[in-house]
Amino acid sequence: MKRQPAQTYHEISRQKIDAVFLRNKLHLKNIEARSSFSEKFPRVQQFFIEKGLDLGKIREHSAQILGAGALTGTLFLAPPTGVKGLPAPSEIINSLKLAGESKTADFPQKLLVDLLSNILPRVVRPLTADEEKSLQQIFDQVIGIKAKANLEGEHLNTSYGLIGAEQHLARYPGDNLYNHPKISVGDEGMAPGLGAWGYFASSREKFTSSLEETEKWYAVVQTLYLPDWNKRQPFLREWYKYRKVLIVNTDNGNAVVAAIADSGPAAWTGKHFGGSPEVMEYLGGPRYKKGPVVIFFVDDPENKVPLGPVDYNKVNLTAYSV
Amino acid sequence: MSKIFYDRLIVLEEIEAEVKKIAKTREEKEELWQEVDELVHHRVLGCILDKLPEKNHQEFLEKFHKAPYDEGLIPFLAERIGQDIEDFLKLEMGKLKTELLQLIKGK
Repeated sequence: MKRQPAQTYHEISRQKIDAVFLRNKLHLKNIEARSSFSEKFPRVQQFFIEKGLDLGKIREHSAQILGAGALTGTLFLAPPTGVKGLPAPSEIINSLKLAGESKTADFPQKLLVDLLSNILPRVVRPLTADEEKSLQQIFDQVIGIKAKANLEGEHLNTSYGLIGAEQHLARYPGDNLYNHPKISVGDEGMAPGLGAWGYFASSREKFTSSLEETEKWYAVVQTLYLPDWNKRQPFLREWYKYRKVLIVNTDNGNAVVAAIADSGPAAWTGKHFGGSPEVMEYLGGPRYKKGPVVIFFVDDPENKVPLGPVDYNKVNLTAYSV
Repeated sequence: MSKIFYDRLIVLEEIEAEVKKIAKTREEKEELWQEVDELVHHRVLGCILDKLPEKNHQEFLEKFHKAPYDEGLIPFLAERIGQDIEDFLKLEMGKLKTELLQLIKGK
């Protein structure tokens, strides 16, 4: 029987109602929190009003300050904690040559881990431009991948952070965990929602092997917190879609090239990036759920760098004749 | 960069997992995350202001407004409050997590 126009709500999916319903409940809780804050701290509230600042939008305010500082080159950041005396490029090259002459079984992975520990701070944080330049050189020379923190003027909020395990993504309508490849141990299952760019293909027939690799080796980055994310649409959305990144586990030197296919994680998770089950398994083994990594954009204009593990420790590195 | 000085002290992974079960699109997910984010800011700042002597409020607010990302605020607060803010923020976030899980699961 055809529904009356007034009863079209029957066609709204149960899940849609859930998301809207939850948003409304959270919104109500937010109103209560704001009201309670204002009552308890009226002077503070007045301070924010005078400054034209909404505490709930403090993240945007922070992004604006940092974005403006970066544009004018007057970033008034305090010197980051844990900055080490960086090795000069010539020192890095020398250590590579020396290590190459006395090759051991774990060369060059141990060399990479040693170099990273010399450059990176103990606690994850955004890196300085000098630190990123040193890493760029090391990745090029040791791993053999040209990758940059800043590519075509684009830069993530941080290139050194914690990566967390994500689930498989639905690749096409009707895709499910049953027909989705899984990792052998500790598989995270399938995400209930879609990736940030929706299905990888509009149907199973249009799902190519290239797209299969993209989903298998996917990465998650916090595009939603980029200071100009909303202003520079649709450019940024397209720029980040399946953008290749080099992910290096800074604890063990394992490296993988992945494609960005989702946004997140939320800022309040303590994590900065995410990786597909396959990415995480390669980076740290089947039980690896969270850890520090460096993420750089792969500079690959001709699309020659394949997605997946970078077995730099299994190749002859005589190429670093600098 | 988009960062608040206390970000690394806030870990609500279980809430993210629950939100992901409900949100089906990027837009839905990010809307829900934003609501949680706003709650976190009010709770964290309320908690800090509760502990911080009132005579220090103005100085803290000026600094916070000028550089909300500055992790130097953590030792600044610890010195004036007389204790590490990490401990009481963890406690407060534990309470918020329980409230949010009840809210989400009790829908």
